[in-house]
Amino acid sequence: MSSLIGTLSISLTALAAEQGALEATANNVANVNTPGYSRLVPVLVETPPAVVNSLTLGTGVSLARLQSVRDPILQLRIQEETQQQGQLNAFVTGMQQAQVMFNSSSGGDIGTQLSNFFSSLSQLSTNPTDLATRQTVLTAAGNLANSFNNTANTLTTQRANVDLEVVQAVQQINTLTTQIAQVNTQINALQNVGRDASAFIDQRDVLVGQLSSLIDVQQIKSDSSISLTTSSGTALVADQQAFTLTTQQDASGVQHIFAQGQDITSQLSSGQLGGLIQVRDQKIPALLTSLDTLAAGLANAFNTANQAGFDLNGNPGGNLFTPPPASGQGAASSMAVAITDPSLIAASSDGTPGSNGNVSALLAVHDQPLIAGQTPTDYYANLVFGVGSDVSNGSAELSASQLILQQLQDQRASISGVSLDEEAANLIQYQRAYEAAARVVDTASQMFATLINMGVTP
Amino acid sequence: MSAIRVNPYPTPDLLAALAESQQQQQTDLLQLATGRKINQPSDDPAGTAQLIQNLDQQSQADSYQRSMSSVNGELSTADSTLNSVVTVLQRAISLGTEGANGTLSDADRLSVASEVQGIQAQLLSLANTSYQGHYIFSGTAQTQPFVADSTQPSGVRYDGNTDVNSVSIGNGYSLQVNLPGSQIFSTPSPSVFQSIQDLINALQSNTNIGTAVNEVSVAYSHVNAVRVFYGNGMNQITDQQTNLNSVSVNLSSQENTIAGADLATVISNLVNSQTSRQATLQAIGQTSQLNLFNYLPPQ
Repeated sequence: MSSLIGTLSISLTALAAEQGALEATANNVANVNTPGYSRLVPVLVETPPAVVNSLTLGTGVSLARLQSVRDPILQLRIQEETQQQGQLNAFVTGMQQAQVMFNSSSGGDIGTQLSNFFSSLSQLSTNPTDLATRQTVLTAAGNLANSFNNTANTLTTQRANVDLEVVQAVQQINTLTTQIAQVNTQINALQNVGRDASAFIDQRDVLVGQLSSLIDVQQIKSDSSISLTTSSGTALVADQQAFTLTTQQDASGVQHIFAQGQDITSQLSSGQLGGLIQVRDQKIPALLTSLDTLAAGLANAFNTANQAGFDLNGNPGGNLFTPPPASGQGAASSMAVAITDPSLIAASSDGTPGSNGNVSALLAVHDQPLIAGQTPTDYYANLVFGVGSDVSNGSAELSASQLILQQLQDQRASISGVSLDEEAANLIQYQRAYEAAARVVDTASQMFATLINMGVTP
Repeated sequence: MSAIRVNPYPTPDLLAALAESQQQQQTDLLQLATGRKINQPSDDPAGTAQLIQNLDQQSQADSYQRSMSSVNGELSTADSTLNSVVTVLQRAISLGTEGANGTLSDADRLSVASEVQGIQAQLLSLANTSYQGHYIFSGTAQTQPFVADSTQPSGVRYDGNTDVNSVSIGNGYSLQVNLPGSQIFSTPSPSVFQSIQDLINALQSNTNIGTAVNEVSVAYSHVNAVRVFYGNGMNQITDQQTNLNSVSVNLSSQENTIAGADLATVISNLVNSQTSRQATLQAIGQTSQLNLFNYLPPQ
C-alpha cells in the first residue's frame, strides 16, 4: 500500500540526488581548464524497493558516488610516450647545438680551413722563396689549428652545460618523487576510509607525467597506491616513500647519478635525463675523439712531410704543428702551429732555397689515406654526416613521437576531458529533474492538505 | 550514449599545427634568404658530406687556376726574355758577318767588336732576368745565376744550379716550370756566352771570324729550340685552364644541385604555409566561442 509519506520521501531522495549530480557538473565546469582533470559523472542508483504484500514499490534514487572517468592503460601509454619524447627532445636539442660548429656556410669550419691551407701550399709551390706567400701558409695553418680549437672547445663547453642540465633534471626528479609519495599518502588516507580520492589521483597522474618527461619510469600499481621504478629496477617511489637520487662528480668532471649508493648513470635511457646522458657521455665524447684523431693525424702527417724537406735557410725542416699528445687525446683543442718564422717552412727538397720539391709532399697529405683508409676530407665529411644524421633522425623521431603523444592526449581528452556542451545539457537535465521532483512534493503537499481538510466544514 | 565522444579540447592540436606551420615558414624564409636548401648538416646529412667534398674540389680547382696564372707569368717572362736573346744573337751574327768582310779597316772591326761586347753585356742582363723576386734561369738557387768573370773562358760564370721545379696544375698533373740557365746559356757546346766571347776575340784578333759566327749561329738555334719548352708549357696551361674551367662549372652546378634552394618550390611552400597558418589562426579564434551555454535561457 502506497502512502503520501512514501511519495514525499521518494521525491526528497530525488531532490538530494539531483543536487548531488549538479555538484558534479559544477566541479566539471570549474575544472574545464585544469590540466590532468578527469571529468566526474554522477552514478545514480535506485534505492532498494519496499515489498508490501503483493506490491513492490520503488523507494527513490540515491547518488552512489561521483565517478572520475579515466583510462589507466591510456595514461600509461601517455607516460611511456612522454619518456620517449623527453629523451628525443634533449638529444635533438643537444646535437643541434653541436652541429652548428660543422656548418660549412660559416666559413670558419674545419673543412673550409683545411681547403684554405692546401690552397695556400699550392700557392707556395709557384713561388717558394717569397716570404709573403710563406706567411700566408703559416696564417692558413694557424686558422686551421684555430678551427680545431674552437670546435673542440665549444663541444667541451656544450658538454659542461649538458652536465648542468643533468643536475637540474635530478633535482626536479627528486621534487616530483617527493610530491608523488605525499599524494600517495593522501590517496591512501582517503581510500582507507572509503572516500573518493579522484582529485588526488588526477594530481598524481600529472606529477607522474612530469616525471616521465625526465626519466624512464615504470609503474607498479597496488590497490590504493603506486610504486615507481626506473626501467632497470631502481626504486624512485615505493608507496608513501620517495627515494632521492644524488649526483656526484667523477674524475673526468661530469656528474654521475646515484640511487641508494649505486651508480645508475649508464642505465638511464629515456626521459630528458636519458637524452642528456646520451649527448654528454656518448655523442659529444665520440665527436671529440674523432676531432682529436683527425687533428693528430693531420699534425703528424704535415710534420713528417715538413721534416722531409729543407727550409729557406737550407736547414732540414722541423715540425710545422706542435706534436700532438701520443694518445691523441686533446689533440684538437691543443692543436697549434709550431713555428712563427715563415722561412722555416720546408718547401725545398734539396736544400736550395728556390726548390719547391717538398711542397708537393705537404700537398700530398690531401690525398693521403690518413685515418682508416680515409683522406682527411673524407674523414671530416663522414664526421659531419654523422652529426647531421643524428639531428635529422632524432628530429624525425621526435616529430613522430609528438604526433603519437598528441593523439594519445586527444584520446585521453575524449574520454576524460570536460565538454561544456555536455555539461550544459546535464545542467538542463538535472534542473528539470529537480523541478519535477519539487512539483511532486508540491502535489503531495496539496494532497495532504486535501486530506487534512477532509471533514472540516468551512 | 553510444555516440563516440570527441575531444572537447582542440586547442592544443591547433597550437601544435600552428607551431609546425611557423617552423616550416621559418625554414622556407631561411632558404629564401640564403638561396640554399642545406643551411645546417641535419637539413641533408648526405648532401652536406657531398658538399664538403665538392667545396674542397672547387677550392683545389681554384688553387690550380691561381698556380697556373702565376706559372704562366713566369713562363711567358722566360719566353719573351729568350725572344730578346734570339734577337740579340741575330744582331751578333750580322755584326760578325760584317766583321768577317775583309774590306773592313782594323778600327772599324774593333768598333764592331765593342758593339758585340755591348751585346755580351745585354745577354748577361737578360740571363739574369727575375720574376716576382726570383731569378728565372738560376735553377732553384736564389743567387744571381750569371756573373761576369774574366777568369772563365766564356767570360761568364754560372752560379745557379741544375735543379728544376714542378708545380701541380691538376690532380696528378704537374708541370715543370723552369730550365736551369746552364742548359740555356752555358751548355758545353754550343754555349751562348762562349760563342759571343769567341766572336769578340775573333773580331779583335781578326782570326777565324767565320768559325766564330758559325758558333753563334749554333747557339742561336739552340736558344730557339729551348724556347719550345716554354711555349709547350704555356700551351699546356691554356689547355688545362680550359679544362679546369669546365670542371669548375661542373662542380658549381653540382653544388647548386646539392645545396641550392629551388626558389619556385620554396615560394610556393611559403604561400602554402602562410595559407595554412591563417586557416589555423582563424580556427583557433572561432573554436570554443560557441557552446550550449550560449543558448541556455536567461534566468
